[in-house]
Amino acid sequence: VSHPVVRFLARRLAYSFVVLIGVLILVFALVQLVPGDPVRIALGTRYTPEAYGALRAASGLDRPLLQQFFGYVGSAFTGDLGVSFRNGDPVVDILLDRLPATVSLAAFGIVVALLIALPAGIWSALHEGRVSDAVVRVTSQFGVSIPDFWMGILLIALFSTTLGWLPTSGYRPLLEDPGGWLRHLVLPGLTVGLVAAAILTRYVRSAVLEVAAMGYVRTARSKGLSPRVVTFRHTVRNALVPILTITGIQLATILGGVIVVEVVFAWPGLGRLVYNSVAARDYPVIQGAILLIAVLFLVINLIVDLLYAVVDPRIRLS
Amino acid sequence: MRLPGAVVVALVAVLVAVSCSPAQRVDLGQSSGNLIAAIAGEPDQLDPHKTSAYFSFEVLENVFDTLVEPDANLEMKPALAESWTVSPDQLTWTFHLRRGVTFHDGSPFTAADVVYSYRRIIDQKLANVDKFSAVTDVSAPDPATVVIRVKHPTPNLLTNIGGFKGMAIVSRKNVDSGQIATHPIGTGPFSFVSQKSGDSIVLKANPNYWGGAPKVPGVTFEFITEPSTALSALQAGEIDWTDSVPTQRIAQLKDDDSLKLAVTPSNDYWYLALNEAKAPWNDPRVRQAIAYGIDRQSIVQATSYGSATANQLAIPQGNPWYTPYDRYRYDTDQAKRLLDEAGAHPDKLDMLVTSEYPETVTAAQVIADNLAPLGITVNIRTVDFATWLDEQNSGHFDMLMMGWLGNIDPDDFYYAQHHTDGTSNAQKFSNPDVDRLLDAGRVETNQQARQQDYAKASTIIADQVSYIYLYNPSVIQAWTTNLTGYDARRDGAVRFRTAALAGGGAQ
Repeated sequence: VSHPVVRFLARRLAYSFVVLIGVLILVFALVQLVPGDPVRIALGTRYTPEAYGALRAASGLDRPLLQQFFGYVGSAFTGDLGVSFRNGDPVVDILLDRLPATVSLAAFGIVVALLIALPAGIWSALHEGRVSDAVVRVTSQFGVSIPDFWMGILLIALFSTTLGWLPTSGYRPLLEDPGGWLRHLVLPGLTVGLVAAAILTRYVRSAVLEVAAMGYVRTARSKGLSPRVVTFRHTVRNALVPILTITGIQLATILGGVIVVEVVFAWPGLGRLVYNSVAARDYPVIQGAILLIAVLFLVINLIVDLLYAVVDPRIRLS
Repeated sequence: MRLPGAVVVALVAVLVAVSCSPAQRVDLGQSSGNLIAAIAGEPDQLDPHKTSAYFSFEVLENVFDTLVEPDANLEMKPALAESWTVSPDQLTWTFHLRRGVTFHDGSPFTAADVVYSYRRIIDQKLANVDKFSAVTDVSAPDPATVVIRVKHPTPNLLTNIGGFKGMAIVSRKNVDSGQIATHPIGTGPFSFVSQKSGDSIVLKANPNYWGGAPKVPGVTFEFITEPSTALSALQAGEIDWTDSVPTQRIAQLKDDDSLKLAVTPSNDYWYLALNEAKAPWNDPRVRQAIAYGIDRQSIVQATSYGSATANQLAIPQGNPWYTPYDRYRYDTDQAKRLLDEAGAHPDKLDMLVTSEYPETVTAAQVIADNLAPLGITVNIRTVDFATWLDEQNSGHFDMLMMGWLGNIDPDDFYYAQHHTDGTSNAQKFSNPDVDRLLDAGRVETNQQARQQDYAKASTIIADQVSYIYLYNPSVIQAWTTNLTGYDARRDGAVRFRTAALAGGGAQ
């Protein structure tokens, strides 16, 4: 009776829930297995056995592991992901603080990547074996190999130090300062985008090549359709499905944190948060951040699946 | 292609528009005109009694006060206490507090706050509880007087209660509300305004500061981990000050007139320690062989590009507690003779270093090269800091490299590290003479005699190789020429209370 899309969403929601529970168990077990003790590192060089015992009890780390786990899962359901071991801030607040910067960077980066990769990849595929194809392939190979760390420093040297056009680092919230938001976003966004573009270009090229070799493309061409119609209606449209998949994966990867770029540009994203939390063994923040990244992956996957059906009506949401 | 083409054009147009507007810093509201300081990492928390992170103390130095505080020569001077007296038997210290001081929330500062702060550290066994090991009682006979009783004469009491902001006087209300870790309230020259996770902390000048109102409207601490980014930001005029400076660029920056560079010798030191719970490192001759087997100058060069000073003891030249000592030199033959004498020929050495402190990894590579002629293969084990602490704690290492920061009194330099019962004696060094001298130094009130105790103790420590001392690093900071009234300090404390900015500073 219900609409297939509703049924699809309900099924996916249930499936996502199971995945998240699995992620929770895995992360909880992993942080416990990793050597290193959050209490020891919080005390640093000022360690004494008395201070250790007191802080361990205050953090609730002296409770049995199962009790800690069920306590965590219980409150997680109510939207309470606990508080940071380090400063007592609610984990939810910390994550919400970081999310806008991460989403901005990912969105800008993926737009840059698509704007470069789609035309370059399609062009390259349609001119297979020619000089222009070789140029695109060599350039994208170069882009894949170049360390993003180095690219970031080069961009700063050119656009900030030498030309003085853009700020070197930092982040401004979109709502408080839209101009500053964009200016601060350009360099890290370009760094992320160029690297992603290099990867995407290769996928776009091979996806278009694969479709171009199909019988229906030859048929379309022999029917006398114009090259433009053949290219865009028959070839590119059918190549979009694999391109969507890889774009989704790229987007999710950037959302999960591009730590090197975040370090170079002092960007307050999720990547540095996870890195610093792991270094400090701040279990609640690690768990919360991984959970958020898992949710982002699931959401993007869902959107990609919905887009499949839009791009290719033959695909049913089942 | 028509649509993406239009998008490209639109995007390019936006980028050009954005790029062509001058790259000025947009400051919002109260942080306008602030001194902008880039530090190399984010504070873990802002509770001065609980944090042990240097990044936290860089900020908190400007927010909190202690009863006494070190001046530029690290002599203890009045701060929240205007004066103090010691009883003839040396067991009772009476502090007379400055009057009219208020916390940033407007509530008055009284002796009860001092008693509360100290009792908090003692009763909750917080990280700095060892600073009070000699203290038996803290009381407030009246609102402007604090009395500290100690069980034995304590010559370093002032350093213990004022050496760093970990001993700050906090507000009880701030602690009870659970806010202190994220919204600290102190009595210092700047008050806390806000923090953006992963990005920055904003402080505002305290016009009522007892030492005089600061000359800048506030300080914004930005977290820029990558030194080359921080330097670019300084050169572009986006920030006014940073201590995130690439060491390989120091020589070049010294000649750069557009900014000021401070390379100030510090009291910090880096050392090697051999695990004396394991053979053959329990034999002092084997440890001496390693001390002769390493090339200290090369290590200094590789780790700091020559900005550090090689030292065979912990305390640097120029410090009143300095003791000259130069027994060791890079001498592979002497090292071989000592190994032969000990009848020990270790062929492997497990060296524990951490990526948290890249100098340890760099030094380990030099050391591996140095020790190869002795037939010792150094296995460099690089782990993250949490794991490093675990491994050190459980004695899973042959040798490790680490540093100590921010020490002032000789007791800070030697007791915890080299006393048999010391809390940081991971190498398991035990020497009755050293124990006796370190115990004596803790209670000796005659400065000259105390100096002698530590000179003897530190000589034995180096002779018997509890530590192989390597070098004293420098405090390295750079700031714009617009910034005046600021100087880099030997203890690494970053104080902006007298700093002034010409022309409004970073823009």
